[in-house]
Amino acid sequence: MSAEPGSLKRTQYRLGFWLLLAPIVLWLSLLIILPHIDMVLVSLRERVASRQYEFSFSNYTEFFTEPLYWNTFVRTAVMSIVATALTLIIAFPVSFYIAKVLSGKPKMALFILCLIPFWVSELVRTYGWMILLRETGLVSGALQWLGLVDQPVEMLYNDVAIMVGLIYTSMLFMVVPLVTTLDSLDKSLIEAGYDLGGSSWHVMKSIVIPHAMPGIMSGCIVVFMLTLGNYLTPTLLGGKDSLWFTEQIYTQFITRFNWEQGAAFGILLLVLSSLIVWLGLKITKQSFTRVMS
Amino acid sequence: MSDQAFALDAGAGVQEDLACTLLSKHFGEFAAVDEVSFSIPRGAFFSILGPSGCGKTTLLRMLAGFQQPDSGDILIKGQSVLNTPPNKRPVNMVFQHLALFPTMSVAENIAYGLKRKGVPKREHATLIDAVLAKVQLPDYGKKRIDQLSGGQKQRVAIARCLVLNPAVLLLDEPLGALDLKLREQMKIELKRLQREFNTTFVYITHDQSEALVMSDQVAVMNKGRFEQVGTPQELYYHPKTPFVASFIGDSNQYVGKVQGQSGKTITVVTEHGVRLLSQSSEETPPGSRITVFIRPEVMQISLGQPEAEQDNCLQVTVLRTLFDGARSQLQVETAEGAVLTVALPQTADFHALEPGRSVYVSWQANQCLCFPVAPVTRPEAV
Repeated sequence: MSAEPGSLKRTQYRLGFWLLLAPIVLWLSLLIILPHIDMVLVSLRERVASRQYEFSFSNYTEFFTEPLYWNTFVRTAVMSIVATALTLIIAFPVSFYIAKVLSGKPKMALFILCLIPFWVSELVRTYGWMILLRETGLVSGALQWLGLVDQPVEMLYNDVAIMVGLIYTSMLFMVVPLVTTLDSLDKSLIEAGYDLGGSSWHVMKSIVIPHAMPGIMSGCIVVFMLTLGNYLTPTLLGGKDSLWFTEQIYTQFITRFNWEQGAAFGILLLVLSSLIVWLGLKITKQSFTRVMS
Repeated sequence: MSDQAFALDAGAGVQEDLACTLLSKHFGEFAAVDEVSFSIPRGAFFSILGPSGCGKTTLLRMLAGFQQPDSGDILIKGQSVLNTPPNKRPVNMVFQHLALFPTMSVAENIAYGLKRKGVPKREHATLIDAVLAKVQLPDYGKKRIDQLSGGQKQRVAIARCLVLNPAVLLLDEPLGALDLKLREQMKIELKRLQREFNTTFVYITHDQSEALVMSDQVAVMNKGRFEQVGTPQELYYHPKTPFVASFIGDSNQYVGKVQGQSGKTITVVTEHGVRLLSQSSEETPPGSRITVFIRPEVMQISLGQPEAEQDNCLQVTVLRTLFDGARSQLQVETAEGAVLTVALPQTADFHALEPGRSVYVSWQANQCLCFPVAPVTRPEAV
């Protein structure tokens, strides 16, 4: 008799556990795992005739034999890494200032100022950059008015424009984890660093950065993945020939209706991002669980 | 006043490691540190004792260089350090929460300062082993900080500073986070370390027992000023201000009116109407208001009328026993309604003191302290 209420409670507890888990399991399996399994299957077949498919690696060999695909792939990876690094370099001082120099109301205000641009859709924000940088844009106009140039300058549709757009879009995703980790750094540790004879550079290098490493890595992972998978910003700011890998995927799926090739590219992009994140963690000796906690 | 006398004293030949002259720091209208002057002879254990908010932390942070004084000067080994940033000052600080670097091992924590000082790397291991042996943590170099106990962290924090041979070691209430037993051990340990390294220690605390046990000199600080600087014995037996008298040790305090004076002995009638004899070094005209301080431990309890002649002897009723082992106290009430706290000796005679029982308390006039009641500031009871 005494065992029964206990076991009933346990069954109830189990039921509750599965009910609470159900949405995330459904979400992951239906929207993430299932499509990827399908994508792997699609990427591994070749159309031999109308509605006739055969198992084949041809989509992958196509990628490695066609220099355009290969180059775009490497270019996207390198640009993403550079964009992540630059975002970190710009965001770190900003985050340090917010987390350790300011306090109270100004701190909140500055943090919210970093957040405000993200209330506007990415499309509108990118359009903002276009207004500034295009041939008839504000910067071009200002340069002409100042007499520095004698004809309109086109500042869109190049790599710098893409980079500016990517960094701008990624900023918040770097600032938030950095501010959070830097906030948890005891100010007396910084003071102790100075007290024991360290210069600002040493304090930064031996105390602040090691402490902020999990935040730096989680920010970098998020920014890198967002950048690598970004479609809008490279297309709008870089133009049609911006050679971003997501554009290749789009072209395969939508323009050429070659789902097999597109799926193969998608899988390759996933492998690439996983590999680079794994490498980054290995190099900085961080564990994924610690970075993401 | 008193601290200047001390400063002159120390300047008369003893070399001093640290001296401050008229040091002030204001936060808006509030004077956190107000024209403080003092000097500390080489190798002394100097404590700054005061209630929270008295400005002692601000003073310490100015010595370390984290805060800039509004006026006054800080001299370390005779050199002004006002324009020296914290990382260049020959002082090191043990922080309140120790501030050990959690991302480094014990040895790396100690090596941090050595590297910054430019000590050649091949000497690091020897220096680290030597300092760890001195703080009685041999072979702890490879441990991570989170593997250490509270007392061990304390020792590492001290070792990390002392390996650099600072002119002055500043300690910001480092024992606050420890439990009582460990704190008692660390008090003795700190004193031992200070002797062994022969470094000047400046220790700030609000705990009078820490200050009294460890220090050669104690400065009692209140509202941004030094009330008195002296040896622990001086502060306890000869406090110069009512604040010091009430802050150091326990006291029964009574405000009363002077009735008469004969020689050094004055007769006081307290607000309750109790007549007391007290000693006064100052001239106290009859009718002037004074505060009398009587320490619980100077009073004797007896069950019957004491035989020996006592200056003050009161018949009182036991209110309650405040049992605290060897520090037990008895609260008693006079016929007039004044409540006294008396130290209760842990002898067999007094074990069975029930509330309501009548006993006698007695003490000599020269064991009382009295101060004229200042017209504005009354000493805060602590």
